[in-house]
Amino acid sequence: MRRPTTALTAGLVLALLATLTSACTDGGDHVTLRVLASPELADVAPLLAELEEDTGVELELDYTATADLDGQPPAAGRKSAHDLAWLASDRSFLLRLQDSAGGLTRPESTSIMRSPVVVGLTPDAARDLRGRAPGGRISWADLADAAADGTVRFGMADPRRSDTGRAALVGVATAAAGTGSALREEDVSCDRLRGFRSGQTLTAPGSRELTDTYAERPETADALIAHEAELLSLNASGRLSAPLEIVHPEDGMVLSDFPLLLLDPGEREAYGKVVDWLLSADTQRELMRRTHRRPVNQDVEPSPELRTSVGNALSFPDRLAIVRQLVDDYGDPVHATGDQVVFLLDFSTSMRGERIAALRAAFAGLSGADRTSTGKFARFYRGERLTVVRFGGSVLEERTVTVRSDADLETLDRIVADGGFDDATAVWSALDRGYRIAADAVRAAPERPVAIVLMTDGENNTGLTYAEFLRRHGRLGSAADAVPTFTVQFGEADAAALKRAAAATGGRTVDAGLSSLTDAFKEIRGCH
Amino acid sequence: MSHSARAVEEPRLSTRQVRRRRVPRHVVGALPIALAGLIALLISGNTLRPFERIVTLEARMASKSDFFRDPEVQRLLLGHGIRVDIRRLGSRGIATQSLTGTDVVFPSGQPAAKIILDRQDRSVRSVRPFVTPLVLGTFRDYADTLVKAGVATPQRAPDGGPTLYYDLKMPAFMSLLDGTDGGRGTADQDGDGRPEGADTWNGIGFDTVRGRSNSGRVLVRTSNVCESNAAGTYLSLLAFVANGNTTPGTENVNDPRLAHDAVTDLAARIKPLISLQGMWADEQADSYLSDLGESIAPISLIYEHQYLAHQIAHHDRSGEQDTDRVLLYPTPYALTEPQLISLTDGGDRLVRLLQEDGELRDRAIELGFRVRFSGEDGTSERLNAYLGDHGIQAPAANPDQTKSYEPDLEVLERIITYVGTCPPPVQDTP
Repeated sequence: MRRPTTALTAGLVLALLATLTSACTDGGDHVTLRVLASPELADVAPLLAELEEDTGVELELDYTATADLDGQPPAAGRKSAHDLAWLASDRSFLLRLQDSAGGLTRPESTSIMRSPVVVGLTPDAARDLRGRAPGGRISWADLADAAADGTVRFGMADPRRSDTGRAALVGVATAAAGTGSALREEDVSCDRLRGFRSGQTLTAPGSRELTDTYAERPETADALIAHEAELLSLNASGRLSAPLEIVHPEDGMVLSDFPLLLLDPGEREAYGKVVDWLLSADTQRELMRRTHRRPVNQDVEPSPELRTSVGNALSFPDRLAIVRQLVDDYGDPVHATGDQVVFLLDFSTSMRGERIAALRAAFAGLSGADRTSTGKFARFYRGERLTVVRFGGSVLEERTVTVRSDADLETLDRIVADGGFDDATAVWSALDRGYRIAADAVRAAPERPVAIVLMTDGENNTGLTYAEFLRRHGRLGSAADAVPTFTVQFGEADAAALKRAAAATGGRTVDAGLSSLTDAFKEIRGCH
Repeated sequence: MSHSARAVEEPRLSTRQVRRRRVPRHVVGALPIALAGLIALLISGNTLRPFERIVTLEARMASKSDFFRDPEVQRLLLGHGIRVDIRRLGSRGIATQSLTGTDVVFPSGQPAAKIILDRQDRSVRSVRPFVTPLVLGTFRDYADTLVKAGVATPQRAPDGGPTLYYDLKMPAFMSLLDGTDGGRGTADQDGDGRPEGADTWNGIGFDTVRGRSNSGRVLVRTSNVCESNAAGTYLSLLAFVANGNTTPGTENVNDPRLAHDAVTDLAARIKPLISLQGMWADEQADSYLSDLGESIAPISLIYEHQYLAHQIAHHDRSGEQDTDRVLLYPTPYALTEPQLISLTDGGDRLVRLLQEDGELRDRAIELGFRVRFSGEDGTSERLNAYLGDHGIQAPAANPDQTKSYEPDLEVLERIITYVGTCPPPVQDTP
């Protein structure tokens, strides 16, 4: 019996020697790679032991990657502390590299899984939103509309820190711009998301913390914006009394592709092994089962919950400055403050008839009657402070409300609808009055952004001259400096004078004659 | 410690220490590993040459890595003692970055190849084994929308079934890419009585083709124009058409200043057709051919070979064509000519193989390339025959044979750099 053993052993030695000599060219060494990973990817950790077993490559995941991969690539001459990066998306990072004007080489990158950024709704919220959406197909605009009127409260990760939050923000902003293509600089020069943001009641540094917090306190929100995968995982965890209904918004979504990046080109061989392993059908199936992300390997059949269409992907902006502007405007989701807008509305007799009807329609539209996609984003929202000043030869009426309910909006609409007219037009006296209101508001609540909207259809024929207005404005000091005036030129207004006043205060002019009063008001909503 | 080294020590020790009569546990344990290794060697065809020297070549290539990553091509090359280790990046990226330590490069088209050849001090060996047209990959409902909008014409399928190919009139198509209808942002372009976003899919009738909806603009998704040959070639096609089917930079040759301004004007005119898509995306074919392809982008810029390889594989797997994915063939058309360029002696061997080895060239046909064979006029007969034999509709030659010629390298570089705001190339320090 000894001999067969010896023979077998000898045979094994030969076979192994052959394997070894041949394997030498592949390099069979055990390798440990340090991976800078997005926190979203913590759910892949249980698979890593198997990766090491199969390939000899051990991955040490360090979940500290930020949305645009701060610290990468390291300064010239310094070696990166990480060999690979595994991100929810490398878009922001690539845009940052692009801005660095070519000094930096982009790392090799391979998509591993995909998941769209979508909305999870409680059954009640889903029913409500579907009821108000055309054809029952819910869009980001419908969510913004419901957020602005206080019927839906949502949670979303902080776009300043989380890539998921950032992707969500880009998706919503792209839908708000409504151009059908990627956001451009001019699309983000005004912040169209203030109404949307007014509905945010829950945030977290990342989407995992977000879903955890929500699972503990589901009464804090009716909707979560996150990757489809994170929402499916939350539903599968059994921590919710009823699963969230996952909605792929009609106006599109941003798709994350979870790329693995090679930061240290010297580790390309091990990188290749890891990529091959991750893309193999078995691993892709296991990743899908554990993480609910969609496989990129065509041979893997998606599970039933992942067979639904993801809808249309929205284009991502091609400049990081655009993304940064969005993130800055969105600010700190926890300390959101509503704006104050001071509307100075010309009620001289020339406004009688069609013009006043147009003004009423514009106000009604901003109060929620405008059911277009842009109207849903631009509308007045809960927490916003609105001042309406009707003027003729002097101030006819002045009223400030903080929007808490539809009743507040009805109050404003009534002022606009029922007000009487005056024979004269004191444009600069009205603007002077507007700046006194604005300066008081800034002093009372410095964190609240204030803007003035001046709408007139005629030339100044009484009250202060423009020069006097400027002198008084200058004496108001710093409180008035941060308040831009947006002028809406209508009818026979003095276009040049309005343009001058807007430019002097950091605002701009829109010509309602080119479109409509409604469009003109929408165009300057959220401008700053 | 490596797995193989550990595995090889254990049996050796076991021969000394065996006391019991049964096969020792660690030998049993090692058995599957050894057998797996042996089987792997047998399958990969390496058994006969475990001790023979295999040369590993460092290569840089873009989409043409599809050829070198094909298992059959790898097997054939191993038979010649060559393994190709590929660093994958865009062709213009290859051409504009340092090539230190690289044996061979395979840019997907002539512009990048020319930049690389210009950078070499010595004469180098190279081969252009095949060509492949630039095409737009789309999906049936979108193609039918373009037919309805009057910019595409379906090719007739031989069996009267659904066609895989459409001819695309570029000048008309380009008017759908600028995001306006004669300067207006909204219009009723499809005559359905609703003013919709100009040049959006719904606006040109997508929502009436099969009741689906896409409010996004008609856009072609491309890879990065600063890095990719496909995107660069697409730019030269756009420039050629926008210049009235004339190669840019060929007018006013006697007045450099005028010629320069004309090129800049042209670049400014075509820039929006690219930049409206927002951020570029790598690996167009991968996303186009993925399950989510139609969601990711209605139209992707790809090469014909990538589509045909997919159809061949699809037919092998399922016995039928993938009739959801269809191709748009632009008129005028643009042909790309990849060039394998050797930078070292090892690279020279690979170039020679591709010049001479019939098996490698036959395999290229099976991967959807239009292969050059000496003594033949066309490059399409063998490919079309192969497609026919495999149950796949062969694309018809476009009756309008206007070919878009790439402008001079210097002119093309100016257009690319203008449109993509590209960084200057990296120079190798000699």
